[in-house]
Amino acid sequence: MSVSPASPAPPSEPRAAGHRAWLSERLGLDGIESAILGGQIPGGASLWRALGSVAAGLFVFEAVTGIFLALFYAPSVTSAWASVAYIQDQLPFGWFVRGLHSFGSSALIVVAGLHLLQVLIFGAYRRPRELNWMLGLALFGLTALFALSGYLLPWDQKGYWAKLVEATIAGSAPIVGGAVQQIIQGGSAFGNLTLAHAYAVHAMALPAAYLVLVVLHVYLYRKHGPTPKWSLSPEQIAARTVPAWPYQAVRNAALGAVTLLIVTVAVVIHHGAPLESPADPTSSYVARPLWYALPLFQLRMYFEGPLEIVATMIIPGILTTLLLALPFLDQARTNRPSDRPRIMVATALGLVALGVLSGISLAKDAHDAGFAKARAEEKARGSSARTLALMGVPAEGGLAVFQNDPLNHARAIWDERCAGCHGLSGTGGDKGPDFKGYDSRAWIRGFLENPDGPLYMGPAKLDKGMKPVEGTPDEIDALVELVYAQTGAADADAARAARGHELVPQKDCDSCHEIDAEGENTGPNLKGRGTLAWVTEVIQDAGHGRLFGEKNEMPKFEVKLTPAEIDDLARFVIAQKTAL
Amino acid sequence: MAEPPTEARRKFLATLTAALGGVVGALAIVPGLGFLAGPLKRATTRGADQPLRVAAEHDVKPGKPMRVTAVGRRDDAWLRLDRVTLGSCWLVRATDSAPVRAFSTVCPHLGCGVDFNDKTGKFDCPCHASSFDLDGRCLSGPSPRGLDELEVHADGNDLLVRYQRFRNGTPKKEPIG
Repeated sequence: MSVSPASPAPPSEPRAAGHRAWLSERLGLDGIESAILGGQIPGGASLWRALGSVAAGLFVFEAVTGIFLALFYAPSVTSAWASVAYIQDQLPFGWFVRGLHSFGSSALIVVAGLHLLQVLIFGAYRRPRELNWMLGLALFGLTALFALSGYLLPWDQKGYWAKLVEATIAGSAPIVGGAVQQIIQGGSAFGNLTLAHAYAVHAMALPAAYLVLVVLHVYLYRKHGPTPKWSLSPEQIAARTVPAWPYQAVRNAALGAVTLLIVTVAVVIHHGAPLESPADPTSSYVARPLWYALPLFQLRMYFEGPLEIVATMIIPGILTTLLLALPFLDQARTNRPSDRPRIMVATALGLVALGVLSGISLAKDAHDAGFAKARAEEKARGSSARTLALMGVPAEGGLAVFQNDPLNHARAIWDERCAGCHGLSGTGGDKGPDFKGYDSRAWIRGFLENPDGPLYMGPAKLDKGMKPVEGTPDEIDALVELVYAQTGAADADAARAARGHELVPQKDCDSCHEIDAEGENTGPNLKGRGTLAWVTEVIQDAGHGRLFGEKNEMPKFEVKLTPAEIDDLARFVIAQKTAL
Repeated sequence: MAEPPTEARRKFLATLTAALGGVVGALAIVPGLGFLAGPLKRATTRGADQPLRVAAEHDVKPGKPMRVTAVGRRDDAWLRLDRVTLGSCWLVRATDSAPVRAFSTVCPHLGCGVDFNDKTGKFDCPCHASSFDLDGRCLSGPSPRGLDELEVHADGNDLLVRYQRFRNGTPKKEPIG
């Protein structure tokens, strides 16, 4: 060990202060601290003033959650939906982070809107803060662009169609419209470049622009200071002034925490943000915009044909111009709202109009049975797509998940092997029964009442086929229930089926059909008729003595199809019970 | 704001602000880290687990290693590829009657693809010059172990190989997804 010259440490300085002083000397901590935490709030702290800070905080929150999502997202037509479904359904907490990001963006729009309203009421846009008002409006516009571009990224039905409509609206602008639309789309139609553009804009260009504008916005805010409440006299303002740290800061943090608590609760209740089925350009989807664009959507309804541009461009354009010009239009002498009656009334009317237009649009959809049906169908399709995606999404992209569906595979076999003789549409087959609603009470009833009808054995032209079952409606009901119960249906009425069973000898059913035991007769054994096992046996060999025996003309498919194919096909036939 | 701001109140509010900020920050970061760490708990990629046909047995000549590719199903995060090249391997046999052995072409050092050198009769790694004999033993160079042998099955005249990848850079042969 080397001997170091004895140099006594400074005796009194505590260690923490020592580190702090060391760092401060090198980094200028005091300057940074006063830049961030310094400042006074003339007239006192308030929750109203927290809105701007909460909006900025939400932006950072969106950036952080967005970076996590970007680590797992792949923007291309074939991978976008699949990667989002992977995030949503397979990654631990994926649904939660995606939900926070999505609901957080809605919260950001609400908070930014309230901030705008606060500035309007307080007169904080007035001289000398005109430019900061305009910066704030630009930030609001960027927030909307964030949401618009982000909505497309999952490449699901709602994002795809909403964006398609928006791009077409952009395309309708005079002179530059066509070019703008092509640039948004990255070409003449939606495709890979549309997604790549939307992603780069959403995750790179907009955050950079937003950051620059926020820094300028905050800089100007700090330069001019907050606008005190109009009702306070200069003496009151001076008396109530407090340092921003921690008196305003604690309000900012509290409001931010409450906002995110609401966001978190919403995320948990909805199990994250919705993800619909993969974008299908050939479908007819009932497109609706994001909630905050509903007023514009509804407004468009009142302007038809060539006038559409009034709703999509002219009215929004005039309103934006008026808002930007507001500080210069306002000639009032004080910040009092009562000195600015026209602006206050216009603001109130604007808010009412937004509310009414959204309300009309929502109410219309709520009362539209067709809309509800379309949404329910989409919901079922979406959840089926997401379940199938768990088996891996084929390289062709999201829509190809439906190839994973065994029923879909079976449909292909059906079309090739079965459709020549059997129908599925309820219009009858060429040589055998139609299976629309197979195994349902209605199908069974139809069969019993008219076995040789066009939907049943009629096309098979059987020699000495089954005769129609005759009886009182009650008796027919009981026999239908008996056959229905054989399918294993959970909702079969056991008492009524038992009554049907008593009728079997009386109606002479048992001279051709067995029902209680394995055994052969001239007609098919009805024990377990319509179950997966029974249908499988029919497909394997319908001419077996237990089944249709000598009357059968259907080929033996056990020598033509693999067991797995027969199984898929049997499931497909049974699924016709509820098929649309 | 009727009461005068005291130092204790100021400190309390400052702590509260920091705590709320911490909670909000944790909400943004912790679940994200949770899903970022997902791949540590569960494999995100998976190759076919069953033996894949790579060649006909009589095509493999003694002393002449043959490079073949294993084609099969691969799961890669959300993507499922039913027929894709999973990797390649060298098929080697000593004599006409000896069984065929398969060695992964992935060098156990840092993962480059080893080549067969006709002149020296050895496998050479082009990146860091590890050299292996026909039994896969490491003769020279930085590789921590010999070439990774793969399971070979015969099905009639067909050779099937169970293609696997192993962790590189370690003396032990550990399979990975």
